Amino acid sequence: MHDHDDELTRRDFLKLLGASIALAGLDGCTRIPAEKILPYVTQPPELTPGVPLHYATSMVLDGYATGLVVESHEGRPTKVEGNPDHPASLGAAGILEQASVLQLYDPDRAQAVRYGNKTSTWQAFAAAMAPAAMRQRLGTRGAKLALLLEPTSSPLIASMLLRLQSLYPDMRVHYYAPLATNEQAIPQYDIKAADVILSVGSDFLASGPFTLRYAREFADRRRAPLTGMNRLYVAEPGFTVTGATADHRLRCRPTEIEPLLESLRGALEGRAPSSPWIAAVAADLKAHAGRSLVIAGDRVTPRARALATAINDTLGNTGRTVWHARSPLLGSGDPNATLLSLAHELSAGSVDTLVCIGGNPAYATPASMKFGELMGRAVTVVYSGLYENETARRATWFVPAAHYLEAWGDARAYDGTYSVVQPLVQPLFEGKSIIEVLAALAGDANADPLAMLRASAKAGGTAVDDESWASVLRRGLAGSAPLARAEMPARAESLAPGAASHEAVSTIEVAFAPDARVHDGSFSNNGWLQELPDPVTKLTWDNAALLSPDSAKRIGAATSDVIRLTHDSMSLEIPALIVPGQPDGVATLHLGYGRAGAEKVAAGVGANAYLLLPAADVFHLAGVSVKRVSDAAARALAITQSHWTMEGRDQARSETLEQYRAESSKPPVRQRQPLTIYDPQQRLDSPLQWAMTIDLATCTGCSACVVACQAENNTPVVGHDDVLKSREMHWLRIDRYLESGADNPQVVTQPMLCQHCENAPCEYVCPVGATVHSPEGLNEMVYNRCVGTRFCSNNCPYKVRRFNWFDYNANLTETEQMVKNPDVTVRERGVMEKCTFCVQRIREAEISAGIAGRTLRGDEVKTACQQACPTNAIVFGSLTEPDSEVMRRRSEPRAYGVLEELGTRPRVRYLARVRNPNPALERLA
Amino acid sequence: MSAVARPAPSLALAEGDDWPVMRGAPNDAAITDMVLAPLWHTRRIWWILFAISALGTLLLLATVAYTVTVGIGTWGNNIPVAWAFAITSFVWWIGIGHAGTFISAFLLLLNQRWRGSINRVAEAMTIFALVNAALFPLLHLGRPWFFYWLIPYPATMNVWPNFKSALPWDVAAVTTYFTVSLLFWYLGLVPDLASARDSAPSRLRRRVYGLFAMGWRGSGFQWQRFNVAYVLLAALATPLVISVHSVVSLDFSIAQLPGWHSTIFPPYFVVGAIYSGLAMVLVLLLPLRRAFRLYDIVTEAHLNAIAKLMLAMGLMLAYSYVIETFMSWYSANAAERYTYLASRPFGPYAVVYWIMTGLNVLSPQLFWSRRLRTNGTALFLASIVILAGMWMERFVIIVTSLNRDFLTSSWHIYIPTWVDWGILAGSFGLFGMLFLLFLKFVPSVAMSEVKELRIEMRKTPEQEPLRA
Repeated sequence: MHDHDDELTRRDFLKLLGASIALAGLDGCTRIPAEKILPYVTQPPELTPGVPLHYATSMVLDGYATGLVVESHEGRPTKVEGNPDHPASLGAAGILEQASVLQLYDPDRAQAVRYGNKTSTWQAFAAAMAPAAMRQRLGTRGAKLALLLEPTSSPLIASMLLRLQSLYPDMRVHYYAPLATNEQAIPQYDIKAADVILSVGSDFLASGPFTLRYAREFADRRRAPLTGMNRLYVAEPGFTVTGATADHRLRCRPTEIEPLLESLRGALEGRAPSSPWIAAVAADLKAHAGRSLVIAGDRVTPRARALATAINDTLGNTGRTVWHARSPLLGSGDPNATLLSLAHELSAGSVDTLVCIGGNPAYATPASMKFGELMGRAVTVVYSGLYENETARRATWFVPAAHYLEAWGDARAYDGTYSVVQPLVQPLFEGKSIIEVLAALAGDANADPLAMLRASAKAGGTAVDDESWASVLRRGLAGSAPLARAEMPARAESLAPGAASHEAVSTIEVAFAPDARVHDGSFSNNGWLQELPDPVTKLTWDNAALLSPDSAKRIGAATSDVIRLTHDSMSLEIPALIVPGQPDGVATLHLGYGRAGAEKVAAGVGANAYLLLPAADVFHLAGVSVKRVSDAAARALAITQSHWTMEGRDQARSETLEQYRAESSKPPVRQRQPLTIYDPQQRLDSPLQWAMTIDLATCTGCSACVVACQAENNTPVVGHDDVLKSREMHWLRIDRYLESGADNPQVVTQPMLCQHCENAPCEYVCPVGATVHSPEGLNEMVYNRCVGTRFCSNNCPYKVRRFNWFDYNANLTETEQMVKNPDVTVRERGVMEKCTFCVQRIREAEISAGIAGRTLRGDEVKTACQQACPTNAIVFGSLTEPDSEVMRRRSEPRAYGVLEELGTRPRVRYLARVRNPNPALERLA
Repeated sequence: MSAVARPAPSLALAEGDDWPVMRGAPNDAAITDMVLAPLWHTRRIWWILFAISALGTLLLLATVAYTVTVGIGTWGNNIPVAWAFAITSFVWWIGIGHAGTFISAFLLLLNQRWRGSINRVAEAMTIFALVNAALFPLLHLGRPWFFYWLIPYPATMNVWPNFKSALPWDVAAVTTYFTVSLLFWYLGLVPDLASARDSAPSRLRRRVYGLFAMGWRGSGFQWQRFNVAYVLLAALATPLVISVHSVVSLDFSIAQLPGWHSTIFPPYFVVGAIYSGLAMVLVLLLPLRRAFRLYDIVTEAHLNAIAKLMLAMGLMLAYSYVIETFMSWYSANAAERYTYLASRPFGPYAVVYWIMTGLNVLSPQLFWSRRLRTNGTALFLASIVILAGMWMERFVIIVTSLNRDFLTSSWHIYIPTWVDWGILAGSFGLFGMLFLLFLKFVPSVAMSEVKELRIEMRKTPEQEPLRA
C-alpha cells in the first residue's frame, strides 16, 4: 500500500490520465435532455429558494368557509394545513381540504373557453354575455335570465348579484348543492359544554361545515377521562365516524328516527318510552338537563330536526349547548331560490339564458327531476366549472373555472366569521372565478377581483387600508362578527304525529349519505381521495350498497355481488358491501360516484346513487325492492382491510371509564418486554429522541391524517387494481377493529404507521443496510441503497412498509409533478418506503433553530398527521424532555406499545380507548 | 452391445442385497459405446424434447424480460405477502440441487459403490437446478441491477453488506455450493471427456473434447492425482450439502414471523431438500434408463437404495411437521398457534396445506414394499408427487406465514399472476433444455467409475473371469 501522500509519480499520472479519458468517454453514454432553466430575473424579496412560504386562505364547501394555511414552494402550493386562528379549523384540516391541492393540478381540468363544440376565448364569451348583447334577448328587465349558483355566504358575490340585479331587475338567482342546507335558521352547538350528547342521523364529528371544530371540542372532553368525560349516544341509519366513536350506538332505519325522537320527547315529558334504550337515554339527558345536547343531522327530515329542537327546549339546553343563528347563505329559506323553483321555470319555458356557475346539476340532482334535460329547455346555457363534466356537456358556453387557490374571494364560516379566499398561484388553465364570470355578465370583461373584494370588504365594515388589509390577508379572516341569533321557526305541523309507516318485508329502505371522500361527487376526480379508504368501510375506488350481515343474507348477496335496487321507474345496480353495524333492512348509499363526465380518474368508478335520490333535500327512500343480479359482471370491491376482528389479540385496546378509574389508582403495570440477555436500554446519544403518542380515546378514524401524510410525503396513488392486490402505498393507515357482536359492534380505530422500533426487526434483516437507525431514534430508509428484497416488510410485525411495485411516478403530467413536496424524495420503482416521522420537518426545524442560534425543542416539530388531526390525538416530541406533552401522555396508565411483547421497543405508544358507557344500558346488554 | 444379451449373473456388492449393481459385466469398450452413443447419434425424441424445452426457455425469457422492464408488480406479490412464488421456487430448486452432491460426494465418502453409475446425472441435475435457483432471488429484487450490493466487495464508499442479515450468508452459501459442485462435476468428467475425444467420429469433435479433457492420458500418475483431488473435493462438498440448505432456512428462521421463527428449520430444510432431490434424480434417471437401455448399469439395486433413502427422508420430514406444529402449541403464543393450528389447516390455503401433507407424508409409505421400491412406474409417479408436494411445502411455509401475521388488519390473500406461473413453467423449460444439452454433449454416465467398478467386481472370488 502506498502512503497517502500527495506525491504523484509519472506512472501514476499517466494511469490517472488514461482512466480519466476512458471515463470521460463513458459520459457520452448518457443523453442529457436539453432543457432550459431560468433564474429569477428579479428575485421576489419575500422568497428564498428552498424556503417555503405560507399563505392564509379559505376553502368554501357548501357555502361555508374553513380557514387554511397553504404552503407554497417557489410559487406552487403543495400542502394545505388548517388555520389555527380560524374558528372552523383551529389548525386542523379535513380530508377534502387536504386533497384539494391535488385538484388544483388535475390535468383533467378544463383548459379552454368553449362555445358549442368550438374552442373560444374569454373575450368572445364576455362580448356575448355583455348586457348590450343580452338585453335584446332577455328583455330590458332580464326576466328570462336565471342564475344557478352553489350556496354561498360570500359578501362579494352578494354585492355582485346586487350589481347584476340593477341591470336585470327581474332575473332569478337559485342556489343548489346536494348536501347543503337551505334552512333559514341554522343550529349552532357548543359541544364542549355538553356532558351528554345524543346525535340522531348526524355525522357531526366528520362531516358538515363546522366539523373540525366540533371534533376538537368533543375530544377535549375525552382526553383526560377522569375530569368530566362526556358521553355520546348515536342513533343512525348508516355507520358513520360519529357512530363509530359513540359510547352507545343504536342502529335505526331512516323511518324510525322520527318515532324515536317522539318517544324520547314523550319520555322526557313523563310518558312511557318505547324501548329501554330510549328510557336510559332520556334519563341520562334529563339528569344533565341544561348540559346535554340533542343533535339532529342535516339529512334527517325537517320534522325530526324540529323534534330535536323541541327536546333541547324541554331540557333547557337551548341557549346553553345549542342555539340557532340566521343562516348567512344567500337565499336561504327562500322557496323561489331553490333548484325546484328553477326546474319549474325551465319546464315552463320561461328561461332563455341559464347561467350555471359551479356545481354539477346535470349529475348531482335527483335523477327523477331530469334536470339535465330541463337545462335543454333554456336557449343558452352558460356553465362555468372545473371540469368538462355532465353539466358542461349540456352547456352552450363553457368557461373553465378557477380553483380556489387561484382566485380571490370571500365567504363566512359557519359562525359568521368573515374569511378571505386568497390565491396562491395564477390560474394554471386560464380559469375564471365566479366573480369574473358575474362581472362579465355585468359587462365588465376585465374585472379586478382584488379591488372588488377590497371594496366589498370595506362596505362590510372591514378596514381595508393597506396595513389593515395586509393583516386581514395574513390572518385569513377579519374580526369576529357572530351571526345574529334566530329563533327556530316553530312549525306546529311539523311536530304533529307523523303517519306510522310499516315496511313490506320484501323491500328495504335506502339511506343516502355524503361520501367521506368525494363528498357529493365534486371531488371524484381526485386520486388521493378515491384511494383513501372510507373511514368506516375501508372501501376504495368505489361506492357500494352497505348492508347488514342479516340483510345481505336475506337478499342472498355477498360482498361485491351486484344487487339491483328498484323504486317506481328508477333502478340502480350497485355492488353490495356487508358492514357489521349497519341497521337491518337498510341499504346506505354514498353519493358522488358513477360519474359520466370527461374526468379520467372518476370514469367507471362506482354507481350513481342520484338515480334513486327521491328529491332534493330528501335523503331516504322507503319501499325499495331489492334483488341480487346474478349475471352482472362486477368488479371486485377494493377494500384495504378485510379482517375486522382482532382474533382475541389486543393490539387496539379499549376499556370503560370504570376500568380506567380503577387502573389509574393502582401502580402502573410493567411494560410487557421479553426477557433478554442484552442491555435493553437503547443508548440515547443524541439530545433529541423522537417519539409519538396516539390517543385512541380521541381518534375518530376520520382519516384526515392519511391524506395529510400522502400530501406531505409524495405518496403515490396506485389505482383500483393494485389496491385490490393490497399494494396501496399509504405510510399511515387507520386500522379499524370491531369488538363484540357482529350486529352492533364496538369500534376501535387505530392509526398505524412505522413504530420506529428501538429494536427494529426490519433493520437486521436488510442485506444491504438500507434501513438503519439514526442517533435520534428514527428508523431510517435509505432509498438509494435499497435493492428491494422486501425482507424488511416480511419481518415488520406491523406491516407498515410499502413497496414500489411499479414506477408509480412515471407518467405524471407536468402539473401533477408540481404537487410534489420538494423536501421529500420521490421514490423510484423497486424500493421500499415507509413513514419517516416527517424527517424533512425535523431537519427543517433543526436548521431554523440552528440559524436562530437556539436549541431545538422536541415539541416544536409537528408531523403532517399530527398537524392535520382535528382532535389532537397525535402528539410528537422528544423522550428527553420530561415536561413535554408526549412524555406526559406516555406516562399515562393507559399507554402501551403495540406488540411490545416481541421486544421491538416501539417509539410510538398508544393510549387505550376509554369509553363512557351508561351503566343502565350496560346492564341491558 | 453383445454383452447385454448374456444371462445376468448375480453380482451383489454388499451382503443382503438382492440385486446386482451391474448386470452382464459388459467390457470396457461396450460401456464406452453404450455411454457415448447419444453423443454421436441424435435421436428424434431428443429433438422433440429439445423443442419443447426450448419453448419453455423462451417463455422464461419473455416473462423475465417483462418483469425486469415493468417491475415486480407484474407478479401477485403484495404487502403482507412480499415473498411468494419466486422464493418458493428458489428454495425448491436449491433443494433439488442437494441430491446431486449428496449422491456423488456424501456417498463417495461413505464408500457406497452403487453411486458410480448415477452420480453424473445427479451432479448435472445439481448444476442446472442451481442455475435455476440463482435466477429467482435475482429476479425477485426490486432493483435486480444492484444485486452485487449483497456481495462483500471492496466498494469505494466503504459500504458493506449487512452481515447480520441471512441474505448475504445465502449469497455466499449458494455461490460456494455452485462453485464446488461445478468443479467436482468437471473433475469427474475429465477421464470421460478423454474417452469421448478418443472415440469421437470427427476431427472437430476430437478437438473440442480434447480441449476440455485438458490433456488427460490416463497415466498412473494422472489417476493417482485425480483420485486424491476427487476425494478432497468430495470432502469439501459434503459439509456444503448440510450447510447450504441450513443457511437457506435461516432466511426464514432469523425473522420473528410466526411460521418462520423456528429452530427446527435447518435440519428440517436439509431433509426436505435431499428428499426432493432424490425424487428429481428418479424423475430424470428412470426415463433415461429406459431410453438408453441402461438396465445393466442402472439396476434395481440403485432404485432400491434411492427408494429406501426417500422413505427415510420422508419419515424425518413427517417428524418435523409434527414437532413444528406441536411447538407452536407449546409456545402458548397466540400468533404462533394461529399460524399453525388455524391458518394453515383451515385458512385460505388449507387445500394446499392438506395436499402437501398428504403427498409428502403418505406417498413415501409405498416404499415399505420391496416390490414397489424397484417398480419404475411406481417410483416415477411417487417422485413426481413428492416434487409437487415439496414445492407446496415451501409455498405453505412462505405464503401462509406471511398472509396472516400479527396484526389482523394487514391480513391479505396472495394470488399468483400469469407471470408467476410463466416464470415457474419457464424454469422447467430451462432446466430441461440444459439437461438435454448435457445428454447430447457430455457422457451421462461416469464411464471411468463404472469400468473401475467392473474391475473391482471381477476381483471377487466367485466372479467368472471376464472375456477381453
